[in-house]
Amino acid sequence: MELSDANLQTLTEYLKKTLDPDPAIRRPAEKFLESVEGSQNYPLLLLTLLEKSQENVIKVCASVTFKNYIKRNWRIVEDEPNKICESDRIAIKANIVPLMLSSPEQIQKQLSDAISIIGREDFPQKWPDLLTEMVNRFQSGDFHVINGVLRTAHSLFKRYRHEFKSNELWTEIKLVLDAFALPLTNLFKATIELCSTHANDASALKVLFSSLVLIAKLFYSLNFQDLPEFFEDNMETWMTNFHTLLTLDNKLLQTDDEEEAGLLELLKSQICDNAALYAQKYDEEFQPYLPRFVTAIWNLLVTTGQEVKYDLLVSNAIQFLASVCERPHYKHLFEDQNTLTSICEKVIVPNMEFRAADEEAFEDNSEEYIRRDLEGSDIDTRRRAACDLVRGLCKFFEGPVTGIFSGYVNSMLQEYAKNPSVNWKHKDAAIYLVTSLASKAQTQKHGITKANELVNLTEFFVNHILPDLKSPSVNEFPVLKADGIKYIMIFRSQVPKEQLLLSIPLLINHLQAESIVVHTYAAHALERLFTVRGTNNTILITAAEMAPFVEVLLTNLFKALTLPGSSENEYIMKAIMRSFSLLQESIIPYIPSVITQLTQKLLAVSKNPSKPHFNHYMFESICLSIRITCKANPDAVGSFEEALFMVFTEILQNDVQEFIPYVFQVMSLLLEMHKNEIPSSYMALFPHLLQPVLWERTGNIPPLVRLLQAYLERGANTIASAAADKIPGLLGVFQKLIASKANDHQGFYLLNSIIEHMPPESVDQYRKQIFILLFQRLQNSKTTKFIKSFLVFINLYCIKYGALALQEIFDSIQPKMFGMVLEKIIIPEIQKVSGQVEKKICAVGITKILTECPPMMDTEYTKLWTPLLQALIGLFELPEDDTIPDEEHFIDIEDTPGYQTAFSQLAFAGKKEHDPVGQMVNNPRIHLAQSLHKLSTACPGRVPSMLSTSLNAEALQYLQGYLQAASVTLL
Amino acid sequence: MPVVNEPSERMRKFKNRGKDAAAMRRQRVEVNIELRKAKKDEQILKRRSISIVSMEKSPTPGEDKNVIIQLSLEEIVKAVNGNNPELQLQATQAARRMLSRQKDPPLNQIIELGIIPRLVEFLTRADSAPLQFEAAWALTNIASGTSEHTRAVVEGGAIPAFIALLSSPHMHISEQSVWALGNIAGDGPLYRDALINCNVIPPLLALVSPVTPIGFLRNITWTLSNLCRNKNPYPPLDAVKKMLPVLTCLMEHEDKEILADSCWAVSYLTDGSNDRIQIVVDTGILPRLVELMGGPELIIMTPALRAIGNVVTGTDEQTQAAIDAGVLVILPLLLRHAKPTIQKEAAWTLSNIAAGPCQQIQQLITFRLLPPLVELLDKGDFKAQKEAVWAVANFTTGGTVEQVVELVRSGVLKPLLNLLLAKDSKTILVILDTISNLFLAAEKLGETERLCLLVEELDGLEKIEALQTHDNNMVYRAALNIIEKYFSGEENPDLQPGTDQDGLYNFSVEKQDFDF
Repeated sequence: MELSDANLQTLTEYLKKTLDPDPAIRRPAEKFLESVEGSQNYPLLLLTLLEKSQENVIKVCASVTFKNYIKRNWRIVEDEPNKICESDRIAIKANIVPLMLSSPEQIQKQLSDAISIIGREDFPQKWPDLLTEMVNRFQSGDFHVINGVLRTAHSLFKRYRHEFKSNELWTEIKLVLDAFALPLTNLFKATIELCSTHANDASALKVLFSSLVLIAKLFYSLNFQDLPEFFEDNMETWMTNFHTLLTLDNKLLQTDDEEEAGLLELLKSQICDNAALYAQKYDEEFQPYLPRFVTAIWNLLVTTGQEVKYDLLVSNAIQFLASVCERPHYKHLFEDQNTLTSICEKVIVPNMEFRAADEEAFEDNSEEYIRRDLEGSDIDTRRRAACDLVRGLCKFFEGPVTGIFSGYVNSMLQEYAKNPSVNWKHKDAAIYLVTSLASKAQTQKHGITKANELVNLTEFFVNHILPDLKSPSVNEFPVLKADGIKYIMIFRSQVPKEQLLLSIPLLINHLQAESIVVHTYAAHALERLFTVRGTNNTILITAAEMAPFVEVLLTNLFKALTLPGSSENEYIMKAIMRSFSLLQESIIPYIPSVITQLTQKLLAVSKNPSKPHFNHYMFESICLSIRITCKANPDAVGSFEEALFMVFTEILQNDVQEFIPYVFQVMSLLLEMHKNEIPSSYMALFPHLLQPVLWERTGNIPPLVRLLQAYLERGANTIASAAADKIPGLLGVFQKLIASKANDHQGFYLLNSIIEHMPPESVDQYRKQIFILLFQRLQNSKTTKFIKSFLVFINLYCIKYGALALQEIFDSIQPKMFGMVLEKIIIPEIQKVSGQVEKKICAVGITKILTECPPMMDTEYTKLWTPLLQALIGLFELPEDDTIPDEEHFIDIEDTPGYQTAFSQLAFAGKKEHDPVGQMVNNPRIHLAQSLHKLSTACPGRVPSMLSTSLNAEALQYLQGYLQAASVTLL
Repeated sequence: MPVVNEPSERMRKFKNRGKDAAAMRRQRVEVNIELRKAKKDEQILKRRSISIVSMEKSPTPGEDKNVIIQLSLEEIVKAVNGNNPELQLQATQAARRMLSRQKDPPLNQIIELGIIPRLVEFLTRADSAPLQFEAAWALTNIASGTSEHTRAVVEGGAIPAFIALLSSPHMHISEQSVWALGNIAGDGPLYRDALINCNVIPPLLALVSPVTPIGFLRNITWTLSNLCRNKNPYPPLDAVKKMLPVLTCLMEHEDKEILADSCWAVSYLTDGSNDRIQIVVDTGILPRLVELMGGPELIIMTPALRAIGNVVTGTDEQTQAAIDAGVLVILPLLLRHAKPTIQKEAAWTLSNIAAGPCQQIQQLITFRLLPPLVELLDKGDFKAQKEAVWAVANFTTGGTVEQVVELVRSGVLKPLLNLLLAKDSKTILVILDTISNLFLAAEKLGETERLCLLVEELDGLEKIEALQTHDNNMVYRAALNIIEKYFSGEENPDLQPGTDQDGLYNFSVEKQDFDF
């Protein structure tokens, strides 16, 4: 493409079309641009347009297109063609910096991004002038230009903050330091001077402070990997100025916005980060400066307001103090009682207060509030920072800090008592303070697990928590109600059982509260209480103790789902599941109503599944209903099928992907409940389960395999007689699964069930093909997982069809195949089989090969007899071989496209472990001994002679042990 | 590029889990690039010059104390190149004076005068000891400058002349030559080997005797240390073998500086491949090194610790030799030393012992190294904490399940998890790998659940969760992996293509020949 006006014109037109809302116009234009972007001069045309076009919209569009072009094409990938011609590359690098600097901000940002993408590839080797070019601009005195340079530098250097140390990286940093550190320092000093010169000029200050923010960020990047010599030598300059900036205030820089942090806040926040970086990594050198920063940051905290815009600054500043006060050699900075009192009073308490913004979230954005308050996604909040500071201070000063706060807690509670409706926030702060003071270790599963012994948690509970919850009005002071419930929840392992039992009816009562937070917390607290374990690791609260509350609990839980905002509340659904699981058969009387409500819920949410956790617990609850009821009354399975199948059918017909794996699991559970032959309703569905479209979805595979296994267990004969034409389809599924390294074990589950349950004649014609398929995998892409499953399968086959049949089918596929498999697969790999049942299957199978397969005694396979026996004894006696070949380590992780969790296994739909040789063989060692004995009676002398020739001594000793235990001798 | 190298590095570590300790031992990292300021007490100077101030207390023999003649540069050139012995001495002395100025000695100007060859020539003037001495002093100071300056002296032909002067009957001249040769040797491997090839070692070693004055002996030791210094290439083996017996003798001396410099020499010799380490181990010097490492003097402790630290980067047997020499008794003191650099070197040493077989790991437990390690992890300087993290990582990689349990019992988890906040990606990654190792051990004991709770209680879980958004790819994947594996309880099967036909899958195969 020529750099001609005509081409500029064409490009302008196409760019304009890419902005068209009509895809019929937009798409072809995008396609066109893509088709020409490989041409020489294309990027230069874009640069010309973004500089010279008459229309602003075209300028911006060209700059965005340019940046995306650079992003897609600049990197030179090995073995792939260079997508940008060399002369264009040179021209771009020569022009882009001045162009960026002279462009308006909107375009400057795009070009700055482009520079950093280019820089990532070319800087420093292939772009040696970049740094000098940038540094020279510092002299310009034009702070719009300077900020452009600084922004670009920031995007180039910020990777120093996360990359690993390496010679290449450090060479680059050194180069940058040599060229950049001094000019940056000078710029820093000059900018600060200008700030005082222009102290009364708001617009100048704004520009200058944006520079300072960027300079402070660059300082962080350049100092991240190690303390550079230059910055060590100039620490005085930097730290003194940082310190001054921390203490600086200027009315002109204060913003009216309550939410968005202003430049002053951003700068101070970054300075806190810089100080924290030095304090953590370069303590030795930074020590002389640290006390000054502690004082400055603390003063900063005392004087900073409650507005949201200060949140990041305040939490950064508090975190700085929290990290310093834990270090032994700075202990003295905090030791003084007055200091401690002042930190508690002026830093911690104010930042624990319930603010207007919290109140808003509590009422209007309760989901977010709950996530922050309950699930700990509060890392950057003030409350959390204050809490961390309390814990940091407690490391050395637990006694004094507890003492100081006890005084505060009491005075706040007194304030509250004077006038609860006005002063309720004081009580909220008091509860929060007690909580943060008392909690030393916490988990989701158990709540607080270690508490400060200086705080009397039970007394506080009885005096200040219970009364609030006993109040007849569940809707009064919702925040305090939520606090109280949360207190029970997190201190559940600390508060005595009798108190917990007292609170259960209160919690059940609060399920009816209108506030989403309150009823959610009540449900969550109940759910957690039902999982608390007592001293002997049994459930603390028993079903018997819950007996008086069953009806009201279930009623209120389901009613809570009808409260506004909670129709898909996962906490409530989880509480339902947990209640079922705890109460067991005492829920049976309520099942008819429960299952109706659950199916209605299911029907409703299946229109648009949006809450995965809610849905999961809903299906778990359904499974529990089925299990509990059918355990007492197996015939009840029919009524569940009646209630559920309609909804299930709808889900399957509408292809509600999220729910289908769950439906298969529930169906498996139901089918397995049947004691007799498979009902016809299931058989009607059978062909549909073999539809490839279902198997293409990862998440369906495990539950579908499970379901087909249930079909085979209960209905193998029916399938053989009534659906014989579907057997190839069933085997097709097996073939599909076996072809995948990830799913081959599922294929084997299916195959094992087929072999175990199908009448032999129904699969006769396919057996050889099955083996050929397996051998192909073995030949072309064997993995440890595959071999393990393969070994289990062939042994299961041997048990079912006999050793001779195994040998015959192998050798019919290819002469001497049986020997090859024995020698190359079974003997060397058997040690890898894991799992008790799996090992047992292999032991019994191999015993059969050894003792019931004539060719092992009288053909060339005889030489494998002792090695096979030795391998079997190894399987019994040696530790499992869990080594995995190097190249396989990452199969599961690396080959997985993304980490999406497509399949959610239902805990309460669990399958019992199945042992196909259970009745046949109890002790496989004894079984081996007896089988050998039988063999030796059939051909006297042979067995002992084979043993004595090549079985090793240790194995022989073990074998003698088995023979003794079985009380047999070999003839 | 680190991004490209790291995965394979990690793979190797992963595969070799507990099997190839040698691969885990980390040599003193050869970073050619330093961002930091060089710390004076961490090394001895490569070059030393003699300034007037340092000479004031001991007036040099041969110097005319009464007459100080000031000459201009022109006058110096003229006199040096002239034939008048008197003027030659005066001019050389004047040049030496200028070069001995403490502030900005005019090295370049003197070199530009072109008088170096002439000064070298003066070294051979056995008839005039004062002239030899002044020339030697002047050249010593020029050689103490930059590499350029040293080169000027060497190219002036000074090496053979100085080596010859080692055997001068005048002790002060021979001492001056030792000094000059030390400066030349300190320049780098090239000149070091040039000296060795000119056979500097025998006459130098011959100067060491029971009656050698301490000051002289200090110079000899320093020069020897410079002859041992530098890699790429190492000093020739036979030269090392010649010097080692003398160095081991010097290490028995009482003088602090002699001890310090001889320890530095040994630390250079051990900073290399295992066969180099073996030569030092074979001298039987390790017990003495360990003793010196535990002494009160920082200047001796530092190089002794370095040397021992280098030895334990070697084979299991070499490491065992250091253990047998008592290193594990001294290390706890050094891990608790007030000086961060000592803490760091001690932790590095420990990390390499922890990379050994489980018998050696057991000795770490027996000698109670775990409490100071945990303390260091908790409260040490960051540089030392980083090394301590490596020590823990190696311990969990090579240790038995019981040993790992012992480590956890020592309280390692809390400070380790706290360091997930460290501002260093590599450290974070090593910690995450360590956590995975701990989980592997917990799995074997059936204690996964308990470890999960412990990690969560110690605020580790939220830190690991936060790392899932880390900018470093390796870090975020490692964090994600732990979360997926131990804290989510959900599975991730994956997707494979298949064949279909007639609505259902078509079950069919074609036979091929098999050979496994």
